[in-house]
Amino acid sequence: MRFLFKTDYEDDIRLFPHSGYFVSYGILFALLLTAPYVLSSYLMSQLVFVCIYATVGVALLILTGFTGQASLGHAAFLAIGAYTAAYLQQFDVPFPVYFLAAGLLTGVVGALVGFPALRLQGIYLVIATISFAFIVEEILARWESVTHGNEGMRVKTLYLFGTAVSRDSPAFYFLCLAVLVLTIVGALNLLRSPTGRAFVAIRDSETAARSMGINVSLYKVKSFAISAAITGLAGCLFAHKLSFISPEMFTLQLSIEFIIVILIGGTFSLHGAVLGAIFIVMIDPFLTYLKDDMPGLIAGMAATMGAGSERAAHIQDSVAAFASLNGLKGAIYGIIIVLFVLFEPLGLYGRWLKIKLYFQLFPLYKRATFKRQKIYVKSERNR
Amino acid sequence: MSKSFKALGLAVSALALTHLPAAAQTKVTDQGISASEIVIGTHQDLSGPIKGWGVPVSNGMKMAVEEINAAGGINGRKLRLVTEDSGYDPKRAVLATQKMVERDKIFAMVGPMGSPTVLAAQDILLDAGVLQLFPLTAAEFTFKFDPAKPQERLKFNNLLPYVESTRAALKYMMEWKQFKKPCIMHQDDEYGKNVLDGFNQQLAAMKATPASITSYKRGASDFSAQVAKMKSDGCDLVVLGAVLREPIGTMGEARKLGWDVTFLGATPVNVLEVPALGKEVVEGLYSASGFEIPYEDTAKGKVKDWLANYKKMFGSDANTQAIIGYNAVMTFAFYAQKAGKDLTGQKMLDALESGEQFRDIFNSPPTKFSKTNHLANTVTQVQQIQKGRWVLVKDNLMF
Repeated sequence: MRFLFKTDYEDDIRLFPHSGYFVSYGILFALLLTAPYVLSSYLMSQLVFVCIYATVGVALLILTGFTGQASLGHAAFLAIGAYTAAYLQQFDVPFPVYFLAAGLLTGVVGALVGFPALRLQGIYLVIATISFAFIVEEILARWESVTHGNEGMRVKTLYLFGTAVSRDSPAFYFLCLAVLVLTIVGALNLLRSPTGRAFVAIRDSETAARSMGINVSLYKVKSFAISAAITGLAGCLFAHKLSFISPEMFTLQLSIEFIIVILIGGTFSLHGAVLGAIFIVMIDPFLTYLKDDMPGLIAGMAATMGAGSERAAHIQDSVAAFASLNGLKGAIYGIIIVLFVLFEPLGLYGRWLKIKLYFQLFPLYKRATFKRQKIYVKSERNR
Repeated sequence: MSKSFKALGLAVSALALTHLPAAAQTKVTDQGISASEIVIGTHQDLSGPIKGWGVPVSNGMKMAVEEINAAGGINGRKLRLVTEDSGYDPKRAVLATQKMVERDKIFAMVGPMGSPTVLAAQDILLDAGVLQLFPLTAAEFTFKFDPAKPQERLKFNNLLPYVESTRAALKYMMEWKQFKKPCIMHQDDEYGKNVLDGFNQQLAAMKATPASITSYKRGASDFSAQVAKMKSDGCDLVVLGAVLREPIGTMGEARKLGWDVTFLGATPVNVLEVPALGKEVVEGLYSASGFEIPYEDTAKGKVKDWLANYKKMFGSDANTQAIIGYNAVMTFAFYAQKAGKDLTGQKMLDALESGEQFRDIFNSPPTKFSKTNHLANTVTQVQQIQKGRWVLVKDNLMF
């Protein structure tokens, strides 16, 4: 086991605490860079969606995980980003400009939402953000001269430096990956700065934060604005990936998906956003994969265990019939989420830390190491 | 003109000639066709907001595949259908489409469900040269194509578009009963907008003005405000750009107010569930429709057997949605058969554009495509609910 001796402040805030980080992240990065030349475009599409969802996840973590302000309105921020991009694209505005404009405008809207949210806490804030999302959805459907209402908008192919970047090309994947990596690095930097520490202080106890001289209102609005801006950037990429946007795509359901991203991934670390996004995007293709291949596998197993070929075929048919039941996937998905909330409140990243520590301390691991200590929901009692 | 100019002119025109057909060449895939089977794919909403459509449609498709295979397949090749659930989520539709194109190697996408889902995934199919046949959305993008973009030729639709069917039905009703104050109540989404467009276009063509235009949110169950407004506006005909529960709710509300007015639904109103759930409330409701809905006790011959088979297979009564799904696969099989024993993508495209007519067992208007028209037909009927059943009032309507 490695012991890190921190001798000055720099040690404490280093992004890569020791050389092991360079090795593991280097390998991960190399794999991600070679992925488009190895994987099929079906898998690449999944990776692109993972990048986009993870970017939103990071945004939501800044607001919910680190500042303690829950939001069920992030689908609306995503929509604002997507529509800004689609609208500006019509006037041949270059990609870098409308990409940044999408982030900027969404950030401004986020700040405006942040102001009334100053007086609201907990469940009331959630309700306020839901109503904000409904208002945005309604505006998108009504403001036909800009959004084309319920007809939706086609999003043209992206042009970057004069070359077309199709939504299934490696270049588009690299773009999404770059946005995600920059977002994560930016968020890490933000969180180790005074602003980030103010966010965490507000999350843990507003009263204590205020008594330490933190301008709670200012930082809450900042947190809302930053979170919304990042989501807006992701919205621009989302619009390009789907090539078509309409108001009915940005519903409460999508906001809930984003919340699930960070709940499943883990709300206490940015790793959670990425792991949660992988889960949310890939669970459905994975279950599809099982649906297609399980019947054959099970029948093969039955055959090797001595079942006759007729019996094996029968087993294959009944497994296939069961696997393609309508709504089965939804049920499995729901069960997984319930199990997570019940048994792994720290999320996927929490589970990973536990496994890692288990092997590092073997055989001295104590189960109580990860006993719930201080997470933001608990600290609400001390407002 | 000097010789060299002539030569240059010839060279240029020769170049132009060799390039023209190349530019208009549509790439069609041959994947999914083997000696023993043809693989087709579809994505349906089996668990989302419109599963009331997705489930029976996919049932109808399954039934058609089984029937075709039991009868020996298409020119000796069995048909295999890959169904994926999109949950009406464009992201999942995109992923499902890529999966089917790459992993399952589908030859054609038949009857995919929903506007945003079909539109978000459309380019993937066209770029891969996979035919997009008969999607379950009557929006224009599913059949209108730009001749300058050769891959767009792969889109075909056989569903009656909302704009055209609304216009035809409205025209007939206006001329027949001399309505003076037509009104509309439409669902606040892309479908409702289409019905509204059809309504407005037809009234403009007939130099009439709408007396009242109201809308409702999808999933709404209270229509008292809309009905009160339309009543006070003095409407004598109400067009319903609604789906299933709304006609029942609206007509119930009108009855409560003692308001006697004629209702005309758009094509999605013309489903069995409306009279089954609405009972006497919806008695007298008119609706635009594409084909007659068969009833088990009055159906004859093939249709009767079909209804009985469906009930046996799925344990529920067949409805309009099931017929549409069944017809989508049957239409595909008809043209694949026409394309011949040595089926290729190009031959399938030629067969579809050949102008050959497909007639289904339900006596719908014939399906026919050409090189310039990829929409099967716009022939509309008007039906009415009489004694709890849909009864044909007038067919062969155009505007």
